[in-house]
Amino acid sequence: MSDQQPIRILAERSAVPGVLRSLSRRQLLSMTAIAAGGLLLAACSDGGRPSPGAVARPTGGPLEDQLSIYSWADYDDPALLSAFTSASGPKIIVDSFGSNPELVAKLTAAKGTSGYDVVVPSSNYIPQMAANGLLMKLNKELLPNLAHMDTQFAVESDPDSEYAICKAWGTTGFVYDTTVINRELKTWGDFMDAAANEASGKTSVLDDPGELPGIYFWANGIQWETNDEEHLAAAEDYLVNTLAKHVSVFDSNPANGTIPQSTAVLIQAWNGSARQGIMASSTPEKWRWVLGAPNTEIFMDTWAVSATAPHPEASHAFINFMLKPESQLANVAYMGSHTGGAGIEELARAEGLPYLDMIFYTPEQVATMQPSTTTEGIARRVDIYNKMKAAASA
Amino acid sequence: MTAREMARSTGVPAAASAARPGPAVHRHRTPIRHRLLLAWSLVGFAFLFAPIVVIVAYSFNTGRLLVSFEDFGIESYLALFQKQVLSDAVSVSLRAAGLSSLIASGLGTLAGIALARRPGGWTVWFVGILLLVAVTPSIVGAVALLPWFVFLGQDLGFGVFNDGIARLTIGSSLFSVAVVAYLVRARLIGMQANLEEAAADLYSTPLRTLRRVTLPLAMPAILSGFLLSFTFSLDDTIVAAFVQVSGTTPWPVYVLSALRSGLRPEIAALSTGMLLLTLFALLVVAIILKRAGDSTADIAKTMAGGS
Amino acid sequence: MRRAVAPGFALALPAWIWLAAFFVAPVGVVFWYSFGYKPGLFGTHANDVLSLDRYAEVLTPTFFDTFANTLWVGVLGTALCFVVGAPIAYWMALKAPARVKGLLIALVMVPFWTNFLVRTIGWLILLSPEGWLSSLLQDLGFEPLGVLQTRSAVLLGVVYNYLPLMILPLFVAFDRVGDVVREASSDLGGTPLRTFARVTFPLARPGIIVGVLLVYIPLMGDYLTAVVLGGAKGNMVGQMLASQFQTAQNWALGSAMAIMLVLMIVLSIVALGALARLIAIPVRARYRVDLMEEVA
Repeated sequence: MSDQQPIRILAERSAVPGVLRSLSRRQLLSMTAIAAGGLLLAACSDGGRPSPGAVARPTGGPLEDQLSIYSWADYDDPALLSAFTSASGPKIIVDSFGSNPELVAKLTAAKGTSGYDVVVPSSNYIPQMAANGLLMKLNKELLPNLAHMDTQFAVESDPDSEYAICKAWGTTGFVYDTTVINRELKTWGDFMDAAANEASGKTSVLDDPGELPGIYFWANGIQWETNDEEHLAAAEDYLVNTLAKHVSVFDSNPANGTIPQSTAVLIQAWNGSARQGIMASSTPEKWRWVLGAPNTEIFMDTWAVSATAPHPEASHAFINFMLKPESQLANVAYMGSHTGGAGIEELARAEGLPYLDMIFYTPEQVATMQPSTTTEGIARRVDIYNKMKAAASA
Repeated sequence: MTAREMARSTGVPAAASAARPGPAVHRHRTPIRHRLLLAWSLVGFAFLFAPIVVIVAYSFNTGRLLVSFEDFGIESYLALFQKQVLSDAVSVSLRAAGLSSLIASGLGTLAGIALARRPGGWTVWFVGILLLVAVTPSIVGAVALLPWFVFLGQDLGFGVFNDGIARLTIGSSLFSVAVVAYLVRARLIGMQANLEEAAADLYSTPLRTLRRVTLPLAMPAILSGFLLSFTFSLDDTIVAAFVQVSGTTPWPVYVLSALRSGLRPEIAALSTGMLLLTLFALLVVAIILKRAGDSTADIAKTMAGGS
Repeated sequence: MRRAVAPGFALALPAWIWLAAFFVAPVGVVFWYSFGYKPGLFGTHANDVLSLDRYAEVLTPTFFDTFANTLWVGVLGTALCFVVGAPIAYWMALKAPARVKGLLIALVMVPFWTNFLVRTIGWLILLSPEGWLSSLLQDLGFEPLGVLQTRSAVLLGVVYNYLPLMILPLFVAFDRVGDVVREASSDLGGTPLRTFARVTFPLARPGIIVGVLLVYIPLMGDYLTAVVLGGAKGNMVGQMLASQFQTAQNWALGSAMAIMLVLMIVLSIVALGALARLIAIPVRARYRVDLMEEVA
């Protein structure tokens, strides 16, 4: 055991390394000073935030210096947002969610501390969100540009825009790469067939518990909002045991990469992001958009304000700004959905915007689109969605 | 006592040998093996930096989407000056990371000293908690913290828990406390308490001994703990995504949101800027430490959390 | 000789309180939630009726499939990190010139200071079927890159993001072994392989364990890294758990999942540790060496 001694002494010596000497108290002090500066900054930063729950109804007073928007991905022209900031002042923060349940979950879980002002729920969520105290009653005096809206696009459950105003309406279909899928696809049935064949392992579907069973329901002539357990079980069987193994990604905004980067060849998408994706592609001609058939959905997303919005004045000013016909036109051009404004289609045609057929639909086409009216059955759909995700990763 | 046990008990054996200049003595015997190791390491470093080089290159993309390169230009850097939201996000992250690593270093250091110098019946429980913190993945901490903050802030009325920075700070400090405590304990266990005992024998008060002897002894571990905490906290996305308050959105959550809604070249531009600042800061630290007479090997060990 | 004026745990008290307030209490609440239920569409949890039903709900094939996938990514990802990282750490600690060690450590840390999502996006760009690497391959007559959204992409993302966490503790571990003991072994006739297997590796073992745990645990809860590059193939338990809170608003079920996840992680660590010991027994029996005996 005596051999251990030398090594042991080595260790003892090394235990007092130069680091020790070098770390003068001065350096430590300077680090502390930096950190203390951070503390101070943090202390200053929370001044001015009104405490949640004590939000006054906006009266048209001066705008706050900030505005926080919680919306669908890439849903507003960034140029419009900066135009609002430079014209009116409030600095805009945008966060995005991928589905309505996610929005509701965020607002309820945070009990008014989420910090969001303007939110963009789909119209079918408005009654319950309002009933559960998640939304603020709009002060329409501060929204004179409401006059530019087409009344046929008012929210069905809220025709007087007490809580919500149409922001955009659109539909669901799919996009496919014609260099890989050489036949013409027309229906959800064709989608299902292509997914199992040419597009197997290269199929992208929406990351939304609602639209996934929709594929099966629309293809089979079932009302997509069904809560019939027999139908749901059939949809589950198809999604989990058949479609899942062909799916490569769950993506609610394929415009961001899936279409322009061609990481998938068959892509379920909302019309707006499908159009954005094709426009961002370096080879737009190879992509073909198909409106879901024989049936598909029609959704309407709405401008609304969180009940505990820290910046209600700025929220109203912003919504009013976005309702201006010029703003609506810019947004149609950017995100590719009808904004519900009166005469917006004519304006867009006069402007000669590309891919108008992906934005505006004929009355015959609209007749095949099923609205979402209820929020029941979400839990069951989330359950299917989780099972499908588990199956897709296997 | 076997060599291994000895190494464990002393904690830092043979560290001095690493500081010795010159190549290993037997290098000439097995040149191929060493060259293979070198090649592997070079490939490894190339692997670590490949995507970062790509990000730097694509920060000069003038296209709308970061991922599709259109033309070369510095528009994305100019846009940084217009989009204050981006720099705000970075500043939120830096503030939260600074505060949280400071708290973690303070609490962790004291805990580590107690663990090393005053073990007792309580140690089992405390180490148990530290272990539990360490094996709990951040998603579990995240889902637990949000309702807890809401409860403290809204139901009990402690307004501070409605503040974004406070939430982020607390959220990312927990794992770091465990890390710092572990590092400090490891360092002090490696050194016997005879210096402190000597100080006590010379009638130093416990507080004075702590300040003058124990803390300096533990300093390399504290520093590396601070650095590690800061780094972890800066990258902490999962907890931040749950507890964040909009308006104090930290940088990782901003990127996460952009990942879904549309990655713009500005994100690469800001990342490049941060990278340059980091490299600059590292350079400054290295120079300061070197001026102070440190060998590079010691600096290395400080940074790596070695003691 | 010590003059204790305060109980031993006094110094640990602040950390104790902090962790109790922000870890033990909230996780305890989650534990409590897991026995409750979801009361309605907009309700997140209720605990007036307690049951184990949520655990029954968790213990379904969906959870096990997802957990199996997570375990696959976790174990293989950690193993790959070790295989890739250990030689690098070994080289850095024992073969690299001493004067560049600081630089090397800094280089391992630097990627950490670029947000991990941004780094992963770098891979996304590099591996895109329409990226320059892909077009280069196509020009050379290969197929366009199809790595993204496969299991290989999941592993790539995971190994990339966690590699520094493996290298750093391994570096410290190998560095602690140092040259002296190894030279002694070598001088006494040990071949390089023998020196590594019988001296370096056993001495570095505590550091190796730290490195493995430091990668494995966060990896098991991570659901972002895998999904960015792996798409549908990157579905992890963490994602399922998060969706109960972020989408389904079923805190009760999500809480039960959280508890199960922690339990599963602990169990898998115990199982893997036992497995490692089991493997080590025959190996040790064969190579049983006491360095001190050899030295003597």
